Amino acid sequence: MGEILDSHGDNRLDVHVGLTLDDVRPPSDEEILRVEDLTVEFPTDDGVVHAVRGVSYVLHQREVLGIVGESGSGKSVSSMAVMGLLPRTARISGRIFFRGEDVLALPQRRRRDLRGKKIAMVFQDPMTALNPVFTIGDQLAEAVLAHELMPRKQALGRAREMLDLVGIPQAEARLRAYPHEFSGGMRQRAMIAMAVINNPDVIIADEPTTALDVTVQAQILEKLIEVKDAVNAAIVLITHDLGVIAGMAHKVLVMYAGKPVEVADTDAIFYSPRMPYTAGLLGSMPSTDTTGHRLRPIKGAPPSLINLPSGCPFSPRCPLADEECVTREPDLALTDALDHRAACHHWPKMKAVEDPTVFFRAESEIQG
Amino acid sequence: MIAFITRRLMISVFVLLAATIIMYVMTALSGDPLADLRQQTGPNREDQMRVRSERMNLDVPIPIRYLQWLGALITGDLGVNRDGQDVGVILGNALAATLQLVVAATVLAMLIGITVGILSALRQYSGFDYSVTFAAFVAFSLPLFWLAVMLKQYVAIGFNTWLRDPVIDTTVIVVVAIAAGLLWGALTAGSTQARLISFTLGALVTATFLSFLSSTRWFADPGLGTVVIGLIAVASAVGICALFAGLQYRGPLYAALAAAGLGTALHTVLGGVLTDPTWPQLLGLLVLTVGVCVALGYGLGGLLRRQAITTAILTGLVTAGLIFLDALLSAFQAYSQRMRGRPIATIGSNTPNFRGDFWQLTLDSATHIMLPTMALILISMATYSRYSRASMLEVMNQDYVRTARAKGLPERTVIVKHAFRNGMIPITTLMAFDFAGVIGGAVVTESVFGWKGMGQMFRDGLEMVDPAPVMAFFVVTGGAIVVFNMIADIIYAYLDPRIRLS
Amino acid sequence: MTLSAPVTSGDAQGMTIVARTQGQLVRRRFFQHKAAMTGLVVLLAVVVLAFTSVGFGPFGGWWKHGWTTTGRVIDGGAPTLTLWPFSIGEHPFGQDNVGKDYFALVMRGTQQSLLVALLVGLVATSVGTFVGAAAGYFRRRTETALMRLTDVMITIPVLLIAAIVGRMAGGSGILVLGLALGLVIWPQLARLVRGEVLSLREREFIEAARAIGTRPRRIIFKHILPNTLGIIIVSTTLTIASAILVESAISFLGFGVQPPDISLGQLISFYQGAMLTRPWLFWWPGILIITVALSINFIGDGLRDAFDPRQNRVRA
Repeated sequence: MGEILDSHGDNRLDVHVGLTLDDVRPPSDEEILRVEDLTVEFPTDDGVVHAVRGVSYVLHQREVLGIVGESGSGKSVSSMAVMGLLPRTARISGRIFFRGEDVLALPQRRRRDLRGKKIAMVFQDPMTALNPVFTIGDQLAEAVLAHELMPRKQALGRAREMLDLVGIPQAEARLRAYPHEFSGGMRQRAMIAMAVINNPDVIIADEPTTALDVTVQAQILEKLIEVKDAVNAAIVLITHDLGVIAGMAHKVLVMYAGKPVEVADTDAIFYSPRMPYTAGLLGSMPSTDTTGHRLRPIKGAPPSLINLPSGCPFSPRCPLADEECVTREPDLALTDALDHRAACHHWPKMKAVEDPTVFFRAESEIQG
Repeated sequence: MIAFITRRLMISVFVLLAATIIMYVMTALSGDPLADLRQQTGPNREDQMRVRSERMNLDVPIPIRYLQWLGALITGDLGVNRDGQDVGVILGNALAATLQLVVAATVLAMLIGITVGILSALRQYSGFDYSVTFAAFVAFSLPLFWLAVMLKQYVAIGFNTWLRDPVIDTTVIVVVAIAAGLLWGALTAGSTQARLISFTLGALVTATFLSFLSSTRWFADPGLGTVVIGLIAVASAVGICALFAGLQYRGPLYAALAAAGLGTALHTVLGGVLTDPTWPQLLGLLVLTVGVCVALGYGLGGLLRRQAITTAILTGLVTAGLIFLDALLSAFQAYSQRMRGRPIATIGSNTPNFRGDFWQLTLDSATHIMLPTMALILISMATYSRYSRASMLEVMNQDYVRTARAKGLPERTVIVKHAFRNGMIPITTLMAFDFAGVIGGAVVTESVFGWKGMGQMFRDGLEMVDPAPVMAFFVVTGGAIVVFNMIADIIYAYLDPRIRLS
Repeated sequence: MTLSAPVTSGDAQGMTIVARTQGQLVRRRFFQHKAAMTGLVVLLAVVVLAFTSVGFGPFGGWWKHGWTTTGRVIDGGAPTLTLWPFSIGEHPFGQDNVGKDYFALVMRGTQQSLLVALLVGLVATSVGTFVGAAAGYFRRRTETALMRLTDVMITIPVLLIAAIVGRMAGGSGILVLGLALGLVIWPQLARLVRGEVLSLREREFIEAARAIGTRPRRIIFKHILPNTLGIIIVSTTLTIASAILVESAISFLGFGVQPPDISLGQLISFYQGAMLTRPWLFWWPGILIITVALSINFIGDGLRDAFDPRQNRVRA
């Protein structure tokens, strides 16, 4: 068992052979973004959707926070709330501080000044995130001109620099190209260029590699780290793929049914998860040592965000669930390690085994 | 792109050619062209039948007749109708009136319909949105001819009668004011309080305005005057800036205000030039206006030169339009007197043998074309508003609109630049379609308003089973449809760079 | 940011969303659509009124006057219908200049206009669906030929071709007229169906069907057409609504329904000159046309929302 665990971890952290966080400047203590008890609800015809139910985190300068969860877990919605991009019907409560200033209390004008200037965003699907009818140069320059009055030529010059920075060859000529003339990877590079063009303090990357070819994914992640270092920004990296997080994030926040269920350093998440859901995610992730094993998906589906089950929202799918889990929803509480929080009544059981993914193995597999 | 358009044009021409076959054969088969003569009992019945058969080539099989017609068409000869009149000559008189009607109706319907549709999309599920939706459904369900007769009866005749003593009833003022208030309230975004304020303001301003018009008997001798032109010009300068550049920047605002000011100042000076102008002169003035506005934008724009030029040109055009309108309205009283106090016409496309200066003649056309256009645009307008609403709603949900917001662009830019351009792409396809519908509508409208236009020619031709006039109508309108298709293609290619490649 | 409610799987408890079939969802959305329900009720009322009042075919009606009987003109033929206090009177819609009861005439016109429109809708839908599905599925030559034909037909403004067809068939009775109009109004629908089929045939389940050797005819009828049913039903409804208007327009021009048949458009055309002296002769048929067309349009809108809840789809 011990051997398996070791090779597990090593292989996972080796997914990125190129640039990792260890190669760039470490985070400082300066607090950039603080989210406190953020909740988001959407009233719909079928009832109120509880998309985010109390998310809190702190982001320091140059730090990378990974937010992991299945689709519908509230990870994107919480970041859209930070950006102020949710539809008007959304009911938002809680507090979001950017450099100590409560963003939610700011007037629209001031929020817009933050958007794209201080907090920038990279979206999931570069195929649809760029406007098909304007040139790349126009769309990049526009991001500059939205916040600073300057001659167009100067803004285009800045756009060219950024395309250089993200590694797009012949940047000058590419300024005049339309998005459909770019490949998926190039478009995502252009999106990253657009995000960093105003030297933001925070970049929110919402599944930046999901829509891309596997071969390009690693390049894009490296590029993200490289530009982050170049502009001194912190990153919120949203993904459903734990593999993306390894080597890419300093700490990780795992979300389930709109709530954070585990928060810890990246290593702790991989080596000693304290929430069965995290373990389930690890078990369902392919890696080099699982050759010959079946992947172990978590059975069932995430709950409806309109009618949440009583107690722990993961209990219907959880192998450790008992009476208590169905009646009382666990709080996100400290576990055995410093700064390692998990929302599970049974985290000690997780600690007791060496490979926590064992709970998700089929009976036959354990016997064999 | 030229290759793309040429290819589309070629296809269109062939499609049109194939359509003429269907039209010709079906018209020829639609009845007995000698029916009226067969019922006659006069002595020269056989003679008349023989003459007509010869003239219409009835002894030749229909396909051959078609080819003969086509051969003549290529040489520019549209043939003769069954009474031997040259169709080309009849067409010449009818052409201008009908094309004027359909083009005016299409352009107006597009402008108003698209604007309403976009507003309705931006205020989705508001009172305004629901009202527009309901109105569009009513428009889709209205028989055009019925509407046209109603307009003729109640708007034209009613208005003419009212004009003898143009005092607006207090009840009417109250009702219109409340309606206007509701409109403003529905268009206002935000809290109930903000809506109430705009409702009250809208209603009060409208009521004051109408009372003023009524007490000064404005409608008997309308006009704007320099002061009103100036006020509207400045207001539109501010509005155009708010829409296209944002009010926080000085360059575009100053350029637009300068255009408004200069235009108003010129109004007092220009009087002499505008007494009896010609269309080329007016066109020259228009070009001059645009030139001056470009210069203003260039000079005053500063860092926002592009936006400044846009706002200056738009403001300049609005001001020019106001000056034109003022001159036209000033001619109204005299015109009205010449029409014996019944200026809004209900019959024909112009007053027969009417002579007068430029303004009188323009006014004469305008009063004739007004009602048919009103009837004709209603349905197209509804179509455009529905499509542009749907299209805008779809676009506003696209990822790139979210990206634009994420950049920190003001909502105005997100809508006017990013959403609008993409939203208009599907509308271009509609343009060509709708134009064909308007032409069909023109036949009906002309019939109600007694125009001696092409619609009349088609109707008479079909009645008499006479292909020549029917085909002349179709060739002209089909040609117009092809041209509109081409314009739509060009706009499409301009709007969507993805098309330019293929 | 899709927050779709997942369908429960057997082993997951604690989830209360019940799976519904597509049909149930559509029906539920349709019955909740207020405008469509209002339209449906009004349309049914008009249909029942039109067919029972003056009778249809061998069945007699309950209304006291026939649409052909002339009579003494009472009070200049003015309508006797009053809303408050409500009373129908002898001639609720008035009388024409030879004393015919206008209510009976309008009801007869409504019957025939409805029949023509229904027939046009059915014929146009059948032809359009057939052409569109064949063109969309077979591609290549079949598609080119069919779509070129569609392009040609679409170039001719509907009103022109309808007028010509009406000139040919109008005298042969309303059934022939409806059939003939249906045969020229299908191109729009063919385009719509073709577009839908084109996108469907690229989907995996069609590929799967083809891979296991399913015949084209079976793929079209079993796999593709059922999926285009929504769009077909919606456009049939809207076609019927516009057919009412087209029929009335060509009848107004004199190329549609010919006497002794009566249609609403024909009544308006016939009594147009009476606008000044007997405006009601002009009002009633118009109101009936608007009522019927508006109801059908609302029903179509409700159906569209029910089949395509995104509601903001661009049809082009």
